[in-house]
Amino acid sequence: MVVSDPETIEIIEACRRGDREAFRALYQAHKDKVYSITLYFFHGDIAEASDATQQVFLKLITNIGSFRGEAEFSTWLHRLVVNTCLDGSRKNKSRERPADPAELMRIADPASHDEDLTRQQVAGRVQAALSSLPPKLRMPILLRYFEELSYAEMAQALRCSAGTVASRLNQGHKLLAQKLEKLRR
Amino acid sequence: MNQFEDKPPIGPIEQGDLPLVKAPDSIWKSIEATLEAKPEPRRTGVFRWQWAAASLAVVGVIFWIATRPSAPAWRVSILEGSPSVDKIKVGEWLQTDASSRARITVADIGTVDVEPNTRVRLVASSPTEHRLTLARGEISATVSAPPRLFLVDTPASTAVDLGCAYKIKTDESGDGVLRVTSGWVSLEWKGHESLVPAGADCRTRSKTGPGTPYFADASQPLQDALSAFDSGGSAANVLQGILREARVRDTLTLWHLLSRVDPVDRVRVFERMTELVPLPAGVSREKALRLDPAALKSWREELAWKW
Repeated sequence: MVVSDPETIEIIEACRRGDREAFRALYQAHKDKVYSITLYFFHGDIAEASDATQQVFLKLITNIGSFRGEAEFSTWLHRLVVNTCLDGSRKNKSRERPADPAELMRIADPASHDEDLTRQQVAGRVQAALSSLPPKLRMPILLRYFEELSYAEMAQALRCSAGTVASRLNQGHKLLAQKLEKLRR
Repeated sequence: MNQFEDKPPIGPIEQGDLPLVKAPDSIWKSIEATLEAKPEPRRTGVFRWQWAAASLAVVGVIFWIATRPSAPAWRVSILEGSPSVDKIKVGEWLQTDASSRARITVADIGTVDVEPNTRVRLVASSPTEHRLTLARGEISATVSAPPRLFLVDTPASTAVDLGCAYKIKTDESGDGVLRVTSGWVSLEWKGHESLVPAGADCRTRSKTGPGTPYFADASQPLQDALSAFDSGGSAANVLQGILREARVRDTLTLWHLLSRVDPVDRVRVFERMTELVPLPAGVSREKALRLDPAALKSWREELAWKW
């Protein structure tokens, strides 16, 4: 989601002028990553993920005029994703639960349903293990995986220190490895 | 190169283990529909109009103080009452009476709904600061902008937006309450700060500024005891009542109390907090009781996941 190429910067500028087609291009460029993060964050709940993705882009589109420079834009977008997920998680605390691997196998794009069953089962296990992590460990892992952010960029998105990010990632990866090991048995 | 500029390891997940999922087309359709939706036109029958007009100047700009003729202006739309103004400029006041409500569009970062019997003034509007004064009454702000860009001054605090939606009300003395519905707000006053997350309230008082934040679903005895504490109640049973009633989520309140009680009581607060939630790695008892800023910040960041 890092905004670096001149074309994307131009799109942001057009968005700031109110160009709806530019909004659409921006949405197209980022929608799948944002949706994937929200979907895995919300345990494969499509309705919750769709709602969160919509909220992220509505906030972004409505307020794009306040963006100043590319770094601020990418930071802002990551923060929107994190805040929207965490707000949703807080509102639905009772629904915070690890999902079933079989249920999570259905998250993948329908196009992948024809793929090898073993691979789908592996994917289901990884998703289930991820889903069982607490939100504070789940989110940094998703940001790293889908957005390939640095420690410093994640710290900005999560509003904590880079050291805290490193500690959470370390803890999350350890737990994930343990859970994957259990699920493989 | 700073080590934190590096990308962390990906961990035990391999590329392809988490497939990128295509966002359903319905999301964009829904976004478009929302963007195209226009505010519902208000019914303005003749009688209603006459009635509204009779309450003359229900909403009005009281005076103009702007030093520059080109002072930035924010759009004002009337939600209820008499449509007598359509914008507010820097230095101007907007006032509603008992039957009027208005919506201010805050530059390009959000909206502020002005409730009845409210008086607000636009103090600044620039790329680095958008600032209102709420002299009395109630406003609801929905702002999506970088942190600390939107500020509301009241007689007993400044509400600093950290990316959020909230309601704040105050009387002319400064007594009032903040309720955050999304994100975070920092209430600041004379070096005093209360950090208020979504779902939490914080009272403000004249002379003492922001009180201690608490979740709206905290028990009534806790809220009553906290009100007594914020009013200057120092009886032992006041703090005891707060500690007894506190749940895991109420560590929000306890974290703020750490720096607001004397050293003896700080130990009691600390011990109750660690009973509720284990102390995270990197935060020691000694540092917490010494109110080491980095340790308290780190502790708050960990606790915030429980809020």
